[in-house]
Amino acid sequence: MRRLALIPLLLPLPALAGLDEVATDHALPRYEALAQSTETLAATAATDCRGEATLAAYTAAFDDWMGVSHIQFGPIEDLNLSLAIAYWPDPKNRTGKALRGLIADADPVVNEAEDYRDVSIAAQGFYALERLLYDDSLPQGDYTCALTAAVARGLADTSAMLATAWVDYAGTLTQPGPDNPVYPTGADATRKVYTALLSGLEFTRDQRLGRPLGTFDRPRPNRAEAQLSGRSQRNVVLSLAALEDLALALADAPIPQSQAAFDRARARAASLDDPVLAGVADPMARFRIEALQQDLRDIQTELATELGAALGVSAGFNSMDGD
Amino acid sequence: MNLKSLAILGTTALTAIPAWAATSKTDVLTTYADIAHAGYEDSLTSAKALQSAVDALIAEPSAQALQAARQAWLEARVPYQQTEVYRFGNAIVDDWEGKVNAWPLDEGLIDYVDPTYGGATEENEYAALNVIANPTFTLSGEEIDATDITPELLEGALHEADEVESNVATGYHAVEFLLWGQDLNGTDYGAGNRPWTDYATGDDCTNGNCDRRGDYLKAATDLLVSDLEWMTAQWAEGGEARSTVLSDEDAGISAMLTGMGSLSYGEQAGERMKLGVMLNDPEEEHDCFSDNTFNSHFYDAMGVRNVYLGSYTRIDGTVVSGASLSELVAEADPAVDEELKAKLDATMIEMSEMKTAAEAGFSYDMMLARGNDAGEALIMGAVNALVDQTASIERAVSALGANQIDFEGSDSLDNPDAVFQ
Repeated sequence: MRRLALIPLLLPLPALAGLDEVATDHALPRYEALAQSTETLAATAATDCRGEATLAAYTAAFDDWMGVSHIQFGPIEDLNLSLAIAYWPDPKNRTGKALRGLIADADPVVNEAEDYRDVSIAAQGFYALERLLYDDSLPQGDYTCALTAAVARGLADTSAMLATAWVDYAGTLTQPGPDNPVYPTGADATRKVYTALLSGLEFTRDQRLGRPLGTFDRPRPNRAEAQLSGRSQRNVVLSLAALEDLALALADAPIPQSQAAFDRARARAASLDDPVLAGVADPMARFRIEALQQDLRDIQTELATELGAALGVSAGFNSMDGD
Repeated sequence: MNLKSLAILGTTALTAIPAWAATSKTDVLTTYADIAHAGYEDSLTSAKALQSAVDALIAEPSAQALQAARQAWLEARVPYQQTEVYRFGNAIVDDWEGKVNAWPLDEGLIDYVDPTYGGATEENEYAALNVIANPTFTLSGEEIDATDITPELLEGALHEADEVESNVATGYHAVEFLLWGQDLNGTDYGAGNRPWTDYATGDDCTNGNCDRRGDYLKAATDLLVSDLEWMTAQWAEGGEARSTVLSDEDAGISAMLTGMGSLSYGEQAGERMKLGVMLNDPEEEHDCFSDNTFNSHFYDAMGVRNVYLGSYTRIDGTVVSGASLSELVAEADPAVDEELKAKLDATMIEMSEMKTAAEAGFSYDMMLARGNDAGEALIMGAVNALVDQTASIERAVSALGANQIDFEGSDSLDNPDAVFQ
């Protein structure tokens, strides 16, 4: 016993700050919620096609996805499932082309859930489903309904897989140490979560807001996320709420400055009153959206000084860091 | 182009290196700059060979002359791809890179395309502009006179026209398109198959406007040469890129690690490799016209390893080497250095397996086909190795005590103090 007690003095103290809370209070219940609401969505779409009940189930499931979409580490990365759930941005309209291709061929791949996993990720997940449910220019009919059901089923299966995998992975994340091949130190695990937090902020700032903003002379209102379903603003609000929850879970001390910065951003995002961010093309409304981008920068700054410094970690590399 | 990187802030002292450290950071950075200079100089040399081959093709069009130009292009990619690791982390490279290696492109901007390509898109009004067939046109409300196709026209009016990134009018991939044409084989074997007669004179000319096509190819190649001349000079003694990395040791070391990690992970593993597999889309190939994608990936990965080990083998076989980042990390934490070296080697083995299969006839676009498990395994093997090495790069960052990283878009490279104000 005496010798064991010495070990912590010989090893650097693991930075376990908040990892338990991140797993238990944040990730696990949120993945569980996503698994349930996507299951409801799949069951509804199988009979209701693109009726009102499916649209409501879609809204609920997408809301739950916004609760975890920033978690780009762990099972979602290991199993390569992120893009199969959410392929956006899509500047080349790969989703539209992939869906039209399947419909034109009446591709029988929709008949087996197992097979459907092999199709282009552009024809899977929330954004493909959005096209199927809200884009009236797509040819309608039995095949399109079968396709809708297949996409919804795939989403439910994928979400269930993630919820299950997280139960094991929670152990990996919360028990760093020399015997843990993924996180040999607490800092490795903490850095992973911290990176996801900052990457999530960056994604909302540069993609959800930055893409439609374009430049002052050339705003791009039709590049806003999830426009067809009218969720562009809603996704910004929900992502901020999810990220704040993650920051609070990770912190092992109060982070009042960061919280205040989150509050400002959330208040501004909620007050935009602009579901599809069409305001990017209007000088006055645009100003408010640009100010929101600045709010997000401020959150990053506060987190770096208040949370990152306290945890002794810096952000690692970002999976969305491509061109 | 946008600085797509996590810049590791240079304001934090790299304090973890013990006082007795034998390796000088200035020496490590000097090696880094020397390798950059050699790499861009090699890229320039091989781009000039491409330029000669293009001149020969235009002067006397033939199947042989087109083939020689294609071969010169392929050879030119070998040194250039090894410099890509300099892009992330060095603002001067990143700001310039878009003119030279931008991708993917809406090639209909430049020349004729197959009907399946479609026309203008919601995202890009000019996706099918076809400059070669149209001496005058309107662009974002401005009348453009393209009667003479010059380097100035390409880099001024056309490149990223209407602020759309896929309007790529210049660089390696524009030249690649002009040499190979569209690859219409989908996920079957075969690259683009542009006939040499697209450059023929008089009645032999196919697909129209052969003279303008030749003018475009020449202008794009000349521009590539002058761009590479410029970047080579930036890394020479007294050049801006070299002085920048040497002016602040800690920021310089951070730039090295940022370049390695950002290229490995978000850019290469994610955007260039994994996305193509998951979309089953050969248009997502980095060198989609020539089917040279496997080499682009291979030499990108080799560039990351070069920077870490402080050694680059030039196109004439001579070696540029010196004090390395590896030695610096080893002094801070030998285990992390061993781990990172092993992972860089593992990546090269995975990349080699992919390259070997591609060279044996299992082309990269075939690997991308829906349900092609063997192809997916080859590509994902390399992707996973890149992801794995990124984790070790992060550990190297920690070992060196560079404990503050910032994100792309927060102006950190331009203004490293901004985050702490």
